[in-house]
Amino acid sequence: MKAKSLRIFSLSAIVLAALAIQTGCKQGNGNQDYDLSKIDTVVTGTVTAELTDAPNVPKPLTYTSPKRVMVKLDVIEKVMNISDSSQYTFWTFGGHVPGKFIRVRQGDLVDFTLYNHPDSKLTHNIDLHAVTGPGGGAEASSTAPGQSTHFQFRALVPGLFIYHCATAPVPLHIANGMYGMILVEPQSGMPKVDKEYYVMQGDFYTKGKFDAPGLQDFDEEKALAENPDYVLFNGKVRSLVGKGALTAKVGQTVRLYVGNGGPNMVSSFHVIGEIFDKVYQEGGSEVNRGVQTTLIPSGGASIVDMKMEVPGTFVLVDHSIFRAFNKGAIGQLKVSGKEDPSIFKPIKN
Amino acid sequence: MMIRNSAILIILFSFTFSTGFVGGERNYAEKKMVRIPGGNFTPFFRLPNSQPIHLKPFLMDETAVTNQEFLEFVKANPQWRRSRVNRLFADSNYLKYWESDLSVGEKNKVLYNSPVVYVSWFAARAYAKWRGKRLPSVAEWEMAGEARPLNTKYKKLTDLILAWYQKPNPKVLPPVKSTYKNAYGLYDMHGLVWEWTFDFNSFIKSGDSRANTQDELQLFCASSSLYVKDKDDYASFLRYSYRGSLKGNFCIGNLGFRCAKDLK
Repeated sequence: MKAKSLRIFSLSAIVLAALAIQTGCKQGNGNQDYDLSKIDTVVTGTVTAELTDAPNVPKPLTYTSPKRVMVKLDVIEKVMNISDSSQYTFWTFGGHVPGKFIRVRQGDLVDFTLYNHPDSKLTHNIDLHAVTGPGGGAEASSTAPGQSTHFQFRALVPGLFIYHCATAPVPLHIANGMYGMILVEPQSGMPKVDKEYYVMQGDFYTKGKFDAPGLQDFDEEKALAENPDYVLFNGKVRSLVGKGALTAKVGQTVRLYVGNGGPNMVSSFHVIGEIFDKVYQEGGSEVNRGVQTTLIPSGGASIVDMKMEVPGTFVLVDHSIFRAFNKGAIGQLKVSGKEDPSIFKPIKN
Repeated sequence: MMIRNSAILIILFSFTFSTGFVGGERNYAEKKMVRIPGGNFTPFFRLPNSQPIHLKPFLMDETAVTNQEFLEFVKANPQWRRSRVNRLFADSNYLKYWESDLSVGEKNKVLYNSPVVYVSWFAARAYAKWRGKRLPSVAEWEMAGEARPLNTKYKKLTDLILAWYQKPNPKVLPPVKSTYKNAYGLYDMHGLVWEWTFDFNSFIKSGDSRANTQDELQLFCASSSLYVKDKDDYASFLRYSYRGSLKGNFCIGNLGFRCAKDLK
């Protein structure tokens, strides 16, 4: 009995020591970005943020000290195809689902304007998960049609964050496509990659079934039952397939900024035929390696890096696989280049 | 004593008459008003200890105020012309689609009988006063608007409303009486334009549906959807959010009004 407890004691000591070493290493490795008392906040100069529609991502930032960053998002309500035969009235940040991708740097002072198009039927606002402040900006940004609102926030914490409309009833605004993403690059920078893309999942609820012809109304009962007709990447069936497919070359490292607007579904994000070399879990600082499928919560995000070793078509799915097969949660990454039989080769009999 | 009372009555009567006279231009056919029975109204947002609001019977315009009707008001009240209006009382969008100060315009002929929009709360209130009327309260408007639809394909009123909310504004605003009539005899309470109410922003102060300041704690989403009459009533949430984002001088393309009046 005595010997056993001694053994347990010495084991725990070793584990503790190992943990201590690990933590020590980490602090020298980018984690100063999370000591908010040490980040640089002295603003010099003003820039206008580059905003992009999915699957494009704004260019990596080249400035190395905090700026005042001007961001203006337009709220536009419009009818678009949700599939080849079905139309839906989407409520958007910038005219597409998902909304514009915003890229800022930790320490930046973001000067944010929300403009609600005069043709809008409804009032909208914005809650950015990157904001430290009441409602994530929503309280300061309730905007009637034809009006604009204005607020300012400090990008304190680095990471990949989603934003969404938070006007009552919040679930309806999100279900109609009102979400997008904002990346806050750490002051120590992010490792460079060859290709960056923007992918965002969302679930949709329509009166008609999947791909039923004509303009479809929102179905509140299906939404409450969390039973979507569509689970989509980038707001439309086949938006990332064929001509819309993402592309890369053998030898390149591809980074996907993946978000999940919900409103209901949690994504089991997977790329068929690849293993994520790095996953910035939940869009934060913790990097996991060698991941097959990463969980992306509703209202959350993830950054995945993968080096493409061989050519072919790699398929993006929500591995809750009925959604990929029947509800639209499917995309393609087409990789061109030389075969590498040492990694993969089909063998004919 | 009796005599004195009658004298007061006569004075009151003549006062009412003269107000009516000033209000009615010669070519103004008295707009039809509908009697809305009173009753107890349960507000959409309420605190656990809230009591229903008791409403007396009142009169309400059968339709929203049209461009033609509003033009008469602007002609009679120069301070409400587009070029003269005080910006504190109407923003720069005030009547912006009219051809000029005193003309809706030949190209807008199709709009003469459509609801006037791009009018502020101050302008709507002034119009009502000029007609010897007033703006309905939120409670009055909501009670009047809850009545069963008569001539529509929708089984439930909520479905009709949600379907309208989800359609972008039409290029040309249809005339009044073009949507549906409700059991009280009111036209287009939902489905044509949003309408100003007297106390439009007294129910929601913040546009954030999950506001977290103390006075609003119980009114909003996460904590708050517990305190609404029916948390599945998305149509009402949308309407109250819209009202909550307004300021008195806002002039918006899908926002008009209709008047109410006390029953004598």
